[in-house]
Amino acid sequence: MKNGFRQSMAWLHTWTGLLVGWLLLLIFMAGTASYYREEISRWMRPELPRSAVSTDQAAQRAADYLLANAPQAESWFVTLPQPRNPAMQMFWRLPAELADPSKGRRGAFGDATLDPNTGTELKARETRGGDFFYRLHFDLHYIPVLWARYLVGFCAMFMLVAIITGVITHKKIFKDFFTFRKDKGLRSWLDFHNVSAVMALPYHAMITYTGIVTLMIMYLPWGVNVAYGTDQDAFYAEAFGGLPEVTAPAEGKAAPLPLRQLLDSARTHWHGTEVAGFSVANPGAANAVIDIRQRDGKRLSIDTPALRFDMVTGALLQETPPSGGATATRGVLYGLHLARFADWGLRALFFLSGLIGCLMVASGVVLWAVKERPKHAKSGRTGFGLRLVDALNIGAVAGLPIAFAAYFWGNRLLPLGLAERSNAEANVFFYAWGASLLAAFIWPKRMMWAWQLYIGAAAFALIPVVNALTTHAHLGVTLFNGDWALAGFDVSMIAFGAMLALCGWRMQRWTPPLSAAEKKKRAAAAAATKAPADAVEAEASA
Amino acid sequence: MMLLVLGLSFTAFTALSLAMEKHQQELHGKSAASPARRTQWRVLGWVLLTVAFALCVVDHGWAMGPVLWLGALTLGGIVLAFALYPYRPKWIAPLAIALPVVGLVAALL
Amino acid sequence: MDRSPATASPRLSTFFANPRWGVLSRSLAAIFGGYALASMTTVFCALALPGARGQAVLTGMLLAILVAACAALWAFATRSALRAWVGILAPTLLMAGISRLLGAWA
Repeated sequence: MKNGFRQSMAWLHTWTGLLVGWLLLLIFMAGTASYYREEISRWMRPELPRSAVSTDQAAQRAADYLLANAPQAESWFVTLPQPRNPAMQMFWRLPAELADPSKGRRGAFGDATLDPNTGTELKARETRGGDFFYRLHFDLHYIPVLWARYLVGFCAMFMLVAIITGVITHKKIFKDFFTFRKDKGLRSWLDFHNVSAVMALPYHAMITYTGIVTLMIMYLPWGVNVAYGTDQDAFYAEAFGGLPEVTAPAEGKAAPLPLRQLLDSARTHWHGTEVAGFSVANPGAANAVIDIRQRDGKRLSIDTPALRFDMVTGALLQETPPSGGATATRGVLYGLHLARFADWGLRALFFLSGLIGCLMVASGVVLWAVKERPKHAKSGRTGFGLRLVDALNIGAVAGLPIAFAAYFWGNRLLPLGLAERSNAEANVFFYAWGASLLAAFIWPKRMMWAWQLYIGAAAFALIPVVNALTTHAHLGVTLFNGDWALAGFDVSMIAFGAMLALCGWRMQRWTPPLSAAEKKKRAAAAAATKAPADAVEAEASA
Repeated sequence: MMLLVLGLSFTAFTALSLAMEKHQQELHGKSAASPARRTQWRVLGWVLLTVAFALCVVDHGWAMGPVLWLGALTLGGIVLAFALYPYRPKWIAPLAIALPVVGLVAALL
Repeated sequence: MDRSPATASPRLSTFFANPRWGVLSRSLAAIFGGYALASMTTVFCALALPGARGQAVLTGMLLAILVAACAALWAFATRSALRAWVGILAPTLLMAGISRLLGAWA
């Protein structure tokens, strides 16, 4: 470009940010919420009791259930209760003759979610809980999953370029590291955008790059094709390590060792680290093997170490082999994106960084409109582009929070026995967002900002009230019981409501900044009234 | 340990901001510190950042330690830039002293 | 010069002199050219990097993402739209050639 390097990077930053900013807001907000998807899922199924049994008891109950309900299963896959997720999930592979062909590939599997306290199937309202947000941020909704992932990947690449060009363009990145000048209109918006970007820059760069990495095999399959041809399975086996699949069919029958003993062998091998779950191949057979997976929290990588034991003799047969460099790198990058390793403190910091990311994107799109508006002041009417951006800004920045809150309202207010309840809850999210976007397009003015921010504030702040009116898992109970996850959820809702109310209030009270000419006039008038007053004072003290 | 790391990060960033003339002017106007003094602030800031990093690594290993450190820095920086400097500058100095002390006490208990 | 509408003819050169074409061209180079460059990077790395096959393939993908980002920067930083395309397509074709020699698409 004719302009300098920095200027062309500034131009690129503006457009990569603006063109996909609103979709990025959805992705960022849903992704940030996903850090607490287990807690959200718990809050959205208040009937779920907390797990009062030990991991070993839960494992035994899982095995008992599977033996009773899936006696012919060729393999089991069990996820044991975790501190953040009390439910126990399992699925099993049916032999070919028992598979349900009408369901395609999924007809070959059965699944169940159990309450570990009773070992029976979970009775809770049908909901996708926090998993809705998790899926939303890369599968979007209402469109085929493949299209959604390509679209999200495209946006993520734009975001990556926006981050890099942002750093290049930010001339005073160190000098302005702590600089936020308030109440100065465009200057303040720019400062806010810069500081929110720079203070969490490692996070923003990491989350964007690692997000693309999680789906990179889908986006860039060409290397696999050229190196492996039609044998894609070989790629997965070679690139991702893990224990090899068990191909030997069941042979004979033998009683397995007690589960607790097998789980203890794993714990001993890992110097005390707890187990996350286990898989069994050929349950009940003489050659049954059990793969025991390690719990998250000890490693960054998404790749889970596992141990394979002979179920009858208890002998350690295999351990996950050490990974190649690229596999380990990819594992760590993937792991960083999901942050499964994070304990409550680190998780809170990740969540905070995600929120800052949302504020960075939001301030970016608003900043563009603030900068653009004076150019339209001369003609008196806003051009099409600015009006479009104004409407999308309101609909996304103020409207999305309304949608999030509406989703939680839907969870509490929709009838428990409603058919397709999970879909209905998801629809509530989009109806709310649609309404907000529609309103924004009809009247994209400052007061619409204020109204939508206030509606969002009320929608969030009243969630604990709706909770108390419809369930027994409200603050009065959860604070008393020390159920910090559920109590924290309600308190966070109030906090978000307060923040949105503050934003709405500032929007409502905003007055346009004085022009330079106006400021001069007022300064002159003030000096004129001050001179005689000074004279009077001087006389009085003389 | 987490509180201590957060406290040290905050104080480190406070020191680094005081090493800048701009923020010295903001806080102290005419009695802004001399360049020599500002260098001392800069050194202190980097020392505290390093101590915080070391604590993170000692407590959480080389993998998760740096991740935690970066998160703590983000929190400290955001509070300083968005809340304190624009709205409550007088709280900066007291907090910069109090937070690490509180953190240290919490870590030792 | 006769500028009356009746005799004025559409001047293609002024139409294409509009800087918007340059922006469009660079954008296409960044998006489609960038994707082609990234894809070729994965192919090249899969074949040319030493060590295990699976590792080479993964490394190629991790690098390709960054290559695509750099391609976008190049497309808009360089002096002309033509240089944008050349700077992206030349390495793509070069890697394609070497990959072919290493056995790709045989």
